[in-house]
Amino acid sequence: MDIITVNDVVKDYSGHRALDHVNLNIEEGCVYGLLGPNGAGKTSLIRILNQITRPDSGEVLLNGKPMTQEDVMHIGYLPEERGLYKKMKVLDHIVFLGRIKGMSKNDAIKSANEWLDRMNLCEWSNKKIEALSKGMAQKVQFISTVVHNPKLLIFDEPFSGFDPVNTEQLKQEILRLNQNGATILFSTHNMASVEEVCHNFSLINHSQVVLQGNVNDIRRQFAKHLYRIHIAEPVLAPDDSLFAIESVSPHRLGGSNATIRLNPGVEIKNAINALNNNYTLMGFEEILPSMHEIFIETVTSSNE
Amino acid sequence: MNKNRFFLIVEREYKAIVAKKSFILVTLLAPILMIGLMLVPALLMDMNSSDARLVSIVDMSGKYGKDFKDTDDYKFQVLENTPIDKIKQQYEKADGDIYAILVIPANVETTHQVNIYSDNPVKMSLNNEVEDVLEKSLSDAKISSYDIPGLADIIEKSQISVSVKSHTWDEEGESVSSSTLSMIIGMALAMLTYVFVLMYGAMIMSSVVEDKTNRIVEVIVSSCRPLELMLGKIVSIALVGLTQIAVWSIFVGIGLFALSAIGFTSSPADTAQLQGEMAQLPISEGEEIVQAILGVDWGKLLFIFVLYFIGGYLLYASLFAGFGSAVDQQSDANQFMTPVMMIIILALLIGEGCMQDPDGTLGVICSFIPFTSPIVMMIRLPYDVPAWEIATSVLLLYGTAFLFTFFASRIYRTGILMYGRKVTFKELLKWAR
Repeated sequence: MDIITVNDVVKDYSGHRALDHVNLNIEEGCVYGLLGPNGAGKTSLIRILNQITRPDSGEVLLNGKPMTQEDVMHIGYLPEERGLYKKMKVLDHIVFLGRIKGMSKNDAIKSANEWLDRMNLCEWSNKKIEALSKGMAQKVQFISTVVHNPKLLIFDEPFSGFDPVNTEQLKQEILRLNQNGATILFSTHNMASVEEVCHNFSLINHSQVVLQGNVNDIRRQFAKHLYRIHIAEPVLAPDDSLFAIESVSPHRLGGSNATIRLNPGVEIKNAINALNNNYTLMGFEEILPSMHEIFIETVTSSNE
Repeated sequence: MNKNRFFLIVEREYKAIVAKKSFILVTLLAPILMIGLMLVPALLMDMNSSDARLVSIVDMSGKYGKDFKDTDDYKFQVLENTPIDKIKQQYEKADGDIYAILVIPANVETTHQVNIYSDNPVKMSLNNEVEDVLEKSLSDAKISSYDIPGLADIIEKSQISVSVKSHTWDEEGESVSSSTLSMIIGMALAMLTYVFVLMYGAMIMSSVVEDKTNRIVEVIVSSCRPLELMLGKIVSIALVGLTQIAVWSIFVGIGLFALSAIGFTSSPADTAQLQGEMAQLPISEGEEIVQAILGVDWGKLLFIFVLYFIGGYLLYASLFAGFGSAVDQQSDANQFMTPVMMIIILALLIGEGCMQDPDGTLGVICSFIPFTSPIVMMIRLPYDVPAWEIATSVLLLYGTAFLFTFFASRIYRTGILMYGRKVTFKELLKWAR
């Protein structure tokens, strides 16, 4: 079941098309990445999903039904530009945002305190936001996003501005929320995190979706038939019928490391057999392109 | 509109402003400042009166010097026929003990002119005192010089002052009204609208800009409709205004009570004087004022005032909110603020003109135009404006106010998420569509 279905959405800002016939589906319970260079239209799409703006054409479905204003109660949204009421106290602020999302006062207080405890911010709950360090304010912002236990969480660049320790904590919290049943959509420039946590993704460039699908499937699809091998012998001879050698270097434990590219149509099994017959084959591993490479390749080629 | 959410927003916005240190300071200090402004001149006058200044009179006429009686402020000392240069020596010797020297020439009865000498220009009050005393003495002397028996009496009786008592007819018969009272009521209501709209309109604008600068607004509008946030601000700031006015009213009440308790009883002479003056008024005049105050249909007046007040506030508040959403910083707000303020000030000026001629063409037209009607109509109102005019004008005002709230909410929706651009009026019109 798809929790979010975006059908053919178009959004124009004065003289500029921010989203051009965008389609995407987010499966319930998955972690979905929204990738793309700056200005590609990610934030425009996220704002439409949050009912902050309306598409000029096309529709957004939530659990198969057209989304209404009241559905935002089930969504938690962390915008890219963080902002809090500086003069409000931490607990009051979180409770206010929980209540505005439809929670009762008591539920909001209970949930807020649980989260403050989890994020080690308990002793700050009666301090004003302006007294907090930037990292703590970021955590309060995160708590404000999740306090009402939303089914769908939308994070716009969640890791920007966090130090490595807090980034890791945040990542773990996001994964934990996902394990507890929440669907996560996040936009990011951090490609390593996409490989690590995302199941599916869409890559948007110039207002259009240029690449979309399962992270592993896409990486395999972009595979260049490159393999990293380790042999005991110091020299690797090329084999024109099976593979070409991309690079060879001595291995630190003796023998050599090599990157080979299999010829089109050659089965992996055959290549391994051939290598095994001629050398002492100690390692054979497929090199999948990183999301980083896929991102750059796709964006560059779609810009041309 | 979601009611819970709306009230939650109103509550938060209200608390946010009321808890501000600047708000508390202004609310508490403004009355103290006002009282100070009223008390300081009174205190200063008190200090002056404590030591009366000595004025020497050189009376060459030998008649009029004795007519000067000591007052709280001045003591008079008559010097018979001393030459002026000798007086000057005395003045210098006295080294400030003599405040001024009044010289009454021998021919004062024909020239009607006297001279005052001193180091510094003398106070107006001395000039006035001298003029008052001599005018009275000289004219008395003149009258008696005609040697007609009873002439003084005749002249006294021929001093006639006319008072105009206006009556208006209404369904209940005749009622007495005072045009001065109408003017005061009208002006007071207009000023109240004017100050409230300007002060709290500006507060709305800065609240909108603050949310934007804080970047909190995107979080909030992902949870509620922008219209709810905008109306929440408008309503909460109206409540803030009413709170402030309530606090001030209490202060004024306490202040008046304190003044009447301390100020008036401390000086029995003042009270006696005041009572004396009151007694001098023809009794009917005092009654007339009371009658006139009672004659005003306060229920109707206040009802219509509240209607215009709310309508006018809504209209201008939505304008301020819409404009506020279009700028990133407080300092950029002026380009939009200025035209709005000019309209309000213009309305007040037209309203003042209306006091002379409540049924003048400009006044009548401006009491229909929604941007000026809340102020202009307030001034015309005590002069019995026809019901159809009020009804049409109120309908126009509310129609426009709701229309502008709608447009403002559209501008607001776009504006609050727009950063880093100088927005022009033309763009605002496009957003509103």
